Amino acid sequence: MNRTPLQSILLYGTVIFAATIILFPIFWLFNTALSTTVELTQLPPSFWPEEAQWQIFTKVWNDRPIPLWLWNSTITAVGSVILSMTVSVLAGYSLSRFSPRGSHGMGLFILTAKMLPATLLVIPLFAIFRSIGLIGSLWTLIIAHSTLIVPFTTWMLKGYFDTIPRELEQAAMVDGCSPLGAMFRVIMPVSMPGLAATALYSFVLSWADYAYARTFLVNSQGNWTANMGITTMRGEYVTDWNEIAAAAVFVAIPIMVIYLFLERYLVGGLTAGAEK
Amino acid sequence: MATIEQNLKPRRFDLARPSRQHLLGYILLAPAVILVALIIIYPLFISVDLSFQNVKLARIGSARKAFTLANYEKLFASPDFWLACWVTVKMVTAVTIGSLLVGVSTALLVNNKFRGRTLARLVMALPWAVPEIIAVVMFAWIFDSTFGLISWLIWKIGLTTELIAWVSTPGPAFWAITVTMIWKGFPFVSIMTLAGLQSIPDDFYAAAKVDGANALQRFRWITLPCLMPVLGVTLVLVMLWVFRDFSIIKTMTDGGPLKSTTTLSIMTYEQAFGFFKFGYASAVGVVTLIICVVASLAMLGRGSKAMY
Repeated sequence: MNRTPLQSILLYGTVIFAATIILFPIFWLFNTALSTTVELTQLPPSFWPEEAQWQIFTKVWNDRPIPLWLWNSTITAVGSVILSMTVSVLAGYSLSRFSPRGSHGMGLFILTAKMLPATLLVIPLFAIFRSIGLIGSLWTLIIAHSTLIVPFTTWMLKGYFDTIPRELEQAAMVDGCSPLGAMFRVIMPVSMPGLAATALYSFVLSWADYAYARTFLVNSQGNWTANMGITTMRGEYVTDWNEIAAAAVFVAIPIMVIYLFLERYLVGGLTAGAEK
Repeated sequence: MATIEQNLKPRRFDLARPSRQHLLGYILLAPAVILVALIIIYPLFISVDLSFQNVKLARIGSARKAFTLANYEKLFASPDFWLACWVTVKMVTAVTIGSLLVGVSTALLVNNKFRGRTLARLVMALPWAVPEIIAVVMFAWIFDSTFGLISWLIWKIGLTTELIAWVSTPGPAFWAITVTMIWKGFPFVSIMTLAGLQSIPDDFYAAAKVDGANALQRFRWITLPCLMPVLGVTLVLVMLWVFRDFSIIKTMTDGGPLKSTTTLSIMTYEQAFGFFKFGYASAVGVVTLIICVVASLAMLGRGSKAMY
């Protein structure tokens, strides 16, 4: 497309303007982390630290239980991804290839499950976990996060398997493969990119949770996840914003890295099931 | 299919046989169904059951209390409930409109061909990757009452004579949350719209150009109608997200001040884990779920099939 210079300037100008506004809160987070307490408590606010306080990151990492929180979040996310992926790979494959009777109802159910407010589900789950003495354990989160992940991944994977031609399995079966063999030896290897994207996406879902962590783990500090921990850093009267900002960077980085890998699959993932 | 299966010698218990194919389908589906029954359907059943009992701190296995409609009667008579409904409606409307406007315009922007487009698309979707709690950390500081940037900026350009105490004044608290949610929510709209835009065939535009349609007419008569199905689904998904949000509101204002940011979700949680009225809280939650389901099915109508 050919543009006049004026149109080009207008286009780039708008793009830069939009990008600046979108990125500003992220820039401000770094600015806050790297500023001194004096710079943070003055008006007008300082837009660039006089001397970047890089040691804040080592200070927060050593003084606060950041490594523990990140470790707990990781265990929880990996656990719930393993649990959910195991059942939803099988279910997604079944829905895609065999369309068993009632799979239409399954679709409607998954839709409703996506609408379940976590604040409603957290009540009975709390009652159940309290009765079996699980409150305070990371298992509660692994199970609770699966309620978010399974409906989502099952449908995403079904959509992905639908894009893989059936001829692949048929060829394998002609060559003497059993249906299960065809699934595990032929379809799964071919589906690796889709499986990886779905697993990463589930990881993000688990990592982002706050409601369940706050309810089940509030009294067991040793098991706090990153999101739970970081909210406790805000004091009632005094808050060290540079320390919170530095901690926030640690918590956000794993997700940002995943995002860079996931970006290519993002559209496919988010629109999975949204379009037929 | 048929010819292939005829080529295979039928064995006695052969899952490859057409008659066994369905069996295999059910076997593969079973683990998911069992898990979902245990962790979603059974708990859901318990919460509906709890909402008809007068329970404080529920425990599974303890004797069931008498059936009562008291929770629902109390709920519909409570001004707090109606206030929460009103706050929810306001917030859903404000965030949805905001996210749609920002999301669609950024998508249209980066749908143009220009150098650095890939980078621009990456930037545009970046807030989607920021965990909600981290977004709250960013915005809670930006909206800080004493040293926050926004208060200072608004005072500096002379819109107010003193600094606004964002999080502790009802109106501003609502808008602080709305802005945070729009920033976090618009990339989803953007991503979906961009996918929709890319699925419109170029021929449509070429044909319209031949017919002499200008840019505005092309947008009105081609882009918009083609985007409608995607936008409809996106709209409902954004609304559901705001409707059910817990973490952003809870950590930013905790529903306050004066319940001005207490949505139905926050009210459910507050009743359950603030006042330990599990029965009453379940009633609020069940009503919330019913509103979600009914509203989204009504909005999508026959199009609801497109969502799953």
